[in-house]
Amino acid sequence: MESPSLSSIQAQLQACHSKEDTFRTLVTLSKTLPRLSNDEKADEHKIKGCESAVWLIIEHNHTDFPQFKADSDAKLMRGVLAAILSLVNGKSTTEIQAMDLSSLMSSLNLGSYLTSSRTNGVLAILDKISCR
Amino acid sequence: MFDPYSIRQEFPILQQPAYEHELTYLDNAATTQKPSRVLERILGYYQTANANVHRGAHFLSDRATSQFEQARQTVERFIHAPENGQVIWTKGTTEAINTVAYGIEHLIDPDDEILISSLEHHANLVPWQQLSFRTGARLRIIPFTSDGKWQAEYANYFSDRTKIVACTQVSNAIGVQLPIKEVIQHAKNVGAMTLIDGAQAIAHYPVSVSELDCDFYVFSGHKMYGPTGIGVLYGKTDALESLLPCQTGGEMVLHVTYQATEFNILPYRLEAGTPNIEGALGLAAACDFLQQHDQEAVLKWEQSLAEKAYSILENTTDIEIFSPKKHSTLISLSVKNTHIMDLNGYLDSKGIAVRGGSHCAHPLMAQLGVSGTLRASFACYNTMEEAEHFANTLLEAIELLQED
Repeated sequence: MESPSLSSIQAQLQACHSKEDTFRTLVTLSKTLPRLSNDEKADEHKIKGCESAVWLIIEHNHTDFPQFKADSDAKLMRGVLAAILSLVNGKSTTEIQAMDLSSLMSSLNLGSYLTSSRTNGVLAILDKISCR
Repeated sequence: MFDPYSIRQEFPILQQPAYEHELTYLDNAATTQKPSRVLERILGYYQTANANVHRGAHFLSDRATSQFEQARQTVERFIHAPENGQVIWTKGTTEAINTVAYGIEHLIDPDDEILISSLEHHANLVPWQQLSFRTGARLRIIPFTSDGKWQAEYANYFSDRTKIVACTQVSNAIGVQLPIKEVIQHAKNVGAMTLIDGAQAIAHYPVSVSELDCDFYVFSGHKMYGPTGIGVLYGKTDALESLLPCQTGGEMVLHVTYQATEFNILPYRLEAGTPNIEGALGLAAACDFLQQHDQEAVLKWEQSLAEKAYSILENTTDIEIFSPKKHSTLISLSVKNTHIMDLNGYLDSKGIAVRGGSHCAHPLMAQLGVSGTLRASFACYNTMEEAEHFANTLLEAIELLQED
């Protein structure tokens, strides 16, 4: 499945009016995130502080446009990752560094999916994708 | 006849919605909700009796001290302690176990052995492991099957080297009861001390420490309808006497000079600093609450709820249930190819509170071959509709999460 655009993800999530709607949307989004290979799921790519296992890889490939890849063993988290990566996919390092990721995150309307015990892991993910 | 609907009225927190659903609270093994009388006791204390205890001779101080010591007696009667002054207030189960693990350190030799079961919560594992590191004593794990049975040759674990045996009464992760009477008897046969972790038992089973005849029995207030931050270390008088205080300071002394300190008598010797007075009063109110209901009927009800959930879920492919079908007040399970946190998230979105994870029992999870389980744990105020709602919603979650 092709990765949906940021605006489409924002629209889908903002149309959710209940925790249950958001859950179903995240499960649908999880299917758009390409899976990592077992080799890519190495400990060095693992994010600490998540309730589920999360791997995040940033490939620079000698260009100014880093490529982000992520995976999790939980679907809900894969949905969250698909949403987060849509913020930075296709952007240049300079553009990403100028972004206010935390306010962009609030535009995703993920609400309590970020405020609970997932917070630490998500903060670590944001920190890593901020390219600073 | 036991009526969960009328008990429920005593719990204001259960009257509110969760998101747009009715709140279904099934995380009682983590902490129970508090009945009005516990909340009123705490508020009433601050409104009419707040003062520091055991010091200052004035109206409020006398009132606070008398209520605080009455609370101790209430708890002593609740667990059938043979003598007064055998209940030490702690922050909870964890602090109670640490008080013993540090307190007996001076009695432990490098060739001694410390025994625990293979079904322990980290709270009844890490303090003993650390004690073994500090003293050189050997920590040995008595293997139990996940249905709470001894494994072969268990008797070989008990020897004249065994100094203390620490064992949980009920597993927090899988709800199974351990044969603590036998464990205590084996320990006594070799002259070892015994500590029973009653954290998961105290809200459900009538406990008599006289009958058990263990040296220490520990539990937390917040898992038995009392407040957080208060717990109990019960000990036989000579066992408590043998503990060196791991915290020192005010309240626990009789006389202090720059050269030396004379410690106070029990129970104060093990209660340094101003105690959690409101917590002690709230815990005593929780004991009253439990005793005002037919505890046996409540237990049967809670077990029937777990059994109902079990019977709805047991024949579903992909579900593996780790808790016993009968005589458990919780159900603990995992689902093949489905992440616990996803199931947890769906149940939460429907207003159902359960616990997903390793339940602070990593070695047990390794023994079961899973990274965690989903646990629904029942209390006196839960209804049959809630047990069914949990099980049916879980089936919905599995269907949703397994479609591709």
